[in-house]
Amino acid sequence: MMSSAVLQEAQPTGIVGELYARFPGEGLVEQATADGMPTLWVPAAKLLAVMKTLKRELRQPYRMLYDLTAVDERQRQHRNGLPVADFTVVYQLLSIERNADVRIKVALSGDAPCCPSVTGLWLNANWYEREVWDLFGIRFEGHPHLVRIMMPRTWDGHPLRKDHFARATEAERLVMDQARVEREQEALKIDPAEWGMREVAEDHDTMVLNLGPNHPSVHGVFRIMLQLDGEQIVQAVPDIGYHHRGAEKMGERQSWHTYIPYTDRIDYLGGVMNNLPYLMAIERMAGITVPSRAQTIRVMLCEFFRITSHLLFYGTYAQDVGSMSPVFFMFVDRQKAYDVIEAITGFRMHPAWFRIGGVAADLPNGWERLVREFLDWMPKRLKDYEKMALKNTILKRRSVGIGTYSTQDAIDWGVTGPGLRATGLAFDWRKARPYSGYEHFDFEVPTGNNGDVYDRCVVRVEEIRQSLRIIEQCLDHMPSGDYKARHPLTTPPIKDRTMQDIETLIHHFLNVSWGPVIPAGECTMTVEATKGLNSYYLTSDGGTASYRTRIRTPSFPHLQMIPYISRGLMVPDLIAIIASIDFVMADVDR
Amino acid sequence: MDYSLKRMDDPGAAPSLDEQVRKSVFLGKLEDLAHHAVNWGRKNSLWPFNFGLSCCYVEMATAFTSTHDLARFGSEVIRATPRQSDVIVISGTPFLKMAPVIKLLYEQMLEPKWVISMGSCANSGGMYDIYSVVQGVDKILPVDVYISGCPPRPEAFLQALILLQNSIQSERRPLSWMVGPQGVTKMPALSMRDARHAERMAATDLRTPDDV
Repeated sequence: MMSSAVLQEAQPTGIVGELYARFPGEGLVEQATADGMPTLWVPAAKLLAVMKTLKRELRQPYRMLYDLTAVDERQRQHRNGLPVADFTVVYQLLSIERNADVRIKVALSGDAPCCPSVTGLWLNANWYEREVWDLFGIRFEGHPHLVRIMMPRTWDGHPLRKDHFARATEAERLVMDQARVEREQEALKIDPAEWGMREVAEDHDTMVLNLGPNHPSVHGVFRIMLQLDGEQIVQAVPDIGYHHRGAEKMGERQSWHTYIPYTDRIDYLGGVMNNLPYLMAIERMAGITVPSRAQTIRVMLCEFFRITSHLLFYGTYAQDVGSMSPVFFMFVDRQKAYDVIEAITGFRMHPAWFRIGGVAADLPNGWERLVREFLDWMPKRLKDYEKMALKNTILKRRSVGIGTYSTQDAIDWGVTGPGLRATGLAFDWRKARPYSGYEHFDFEVPTGNNGDVYDRCVVRVEEIRQSLRIIEQCLDHMPSGDYKARHPLTTPPIKDRTMQDIETLIHHFLNVSWGPVIPAGECTMTVEATKGLNSYYLTSDGGTASYRTRIRTPSFPHLQMIPYISRGLMVPDLIAIIASIDFVMADVDR
Repeated sequence: MDYSLKRMDDPGAAPSLDEQVRKSVFLGKLEDLAHHAVNWGRKNSLWPFNFGLSCCYVEMATAFTSTHDLARFGSEVIRATPRQSDVIVISGTPFLKMAPVIKLLYEQMLEPKWVISMGSCANSGGMYDIYSVVQGVDKILPVDVYISGCPPRPEAFLQALILLQNSIQSERRPLSWMVGPQGVTKMPALSMRDARHAERMAATDLRTPDDV
């Protein structure tokens, strides 16, 4: 299962076998990957047929388009007999019934590659395909509106191509003079016809309103173009890309180890939880087994960050629906949690504290007392908030029955996390595919009933309680042992034997000087992050840096759903919906 | 003011003429006094613009809430429009796509206005030397105070606010377009690294991270 891609000759089984049987002699090629996910190369001409089969015709279909991205293959060395390609479009589908994924790849060639669009099958393919067009310059035949999504419209080139510059300091010096400001502002102007904002009736005027990219209630640099009939929303068109920090391109230049701090800043409220899927993917490719103490420390800190993130959500959500005070109380709790996090990791928001093979240091003496104090503090505060916020009539009237969607809608749009569970489906990655030892913990998966704004809040509040339970179990049953694996690729390796034998000394020297060399291969690892499912799809070309780092974030598809759930509502309802999604823009634009 | 108690009937206790004058007559220039009073008013009611870009904004918001309580410095009045705000805190990464918007918002603020650059990204691009990030917000606007950190702690934000207040106190802006020389004179920028160098070098006992 490890290392480089090997084409399997043997009779494939499972989903791959099923597809082989349905499409015999059509040029389907299976690829073995480090994560063991069924991976199939499909000719572009057959793509739509295969996708239709996967989504609609199988007995337990793959109904969610989990991710859609691309790889520029032109400089890849270790291709080991994979189909010839200049660019590859990669689709990852998820079947909740099967609790399984499948990865479909399409090889494209030439400088202006073109691929059939799957927007007819999956609603959420729209933004993903726009992103691939923007960053890779791959056209999607049949896409309704293929325009840039991340970069400004005035941009020239496709940044994730290997021949595009990475550094701002390589580009021409930026001059933001009046002419440039005017040109850029002109490019940001709303053309109602472009976004399908048509007149509703001959004698009836509607208004176009621009909300953002800087607005107090859009939670960051996010813009929504609204077509309003009075105060009623006719059309809402989200516009993103104002927070694009090029994190994926950055992965191609930082070493495997020095990229860790960048992951913290993806979901910037999730702290070390972001490190986890990235490191799990590396550890799988490198064949590192993480000791149980390190795993439990990781779980404990991840849950701390889930609590701080959910508390921020809770407070700002209450504020957005008109209740000023809860946020002041909840930030005090966040401070308490940060006191513990800081004592353990030495930093507040972005500790970047996990390492390849474990964590940066062992827990400090006396950590138990701090954690215990927090566990004693939090539950009674949550009880107060229930009276203060959740049972507040105004809050309820502004959120019950607003922004409702069903489980089916959620799956169609690629919604995961609390937003999916609020519709009544108990799908939590920590239970569905336990990682980092979550299978040893006793906790429940809270769900809602109505899938409305209010339920999304209730689910998160209950998740705070479950996180406290998990932390308590970590406290009571913290295993002893190493906090980092004793493996040559652990970075930096445990130093105790460094001065005793030459082997560890050399590994230490290499791993801290040019960084570990991860065997060539591909791997996707997923965690249940604060906002939904967060995955890192890493491609190693056997070097000291990743060949391609794909970050699948939960908030990206969640925002895409806004038009669908806000049509016909009032503007204040839209604000409640935005608050209930709980996103940060870094988690959308990366 | 200094006080001392003396017996009234003690002939030696009667204050000298000089002392009496010093205690009861105020000597000063009306202009300085006016500047002083205006600056005092300005520095203690710095209204920040409700503007945030990324991670740093969360730490900035933390400074607004109870534990740190920005109201102690007269800056809790967050304004949602640039036209009513005195200070814009560039808290986060200045993205290329956002740069024209930041510039426009800054231009919409009325004089006197100040800029705090919060965090490494806003200071210099920080760890993001990447195609979509402006390498420091000072490429597009003038900055008064830089806060280091990624993200800086809320306390660092409070310190920056105090530094800005000190700088405002010693500023000279025309009291009117009719009065005195026009143009703004600011206090020379202060380097905290230099100011604290001796104190930092003197530290010899550093706490180990092994105990909490």
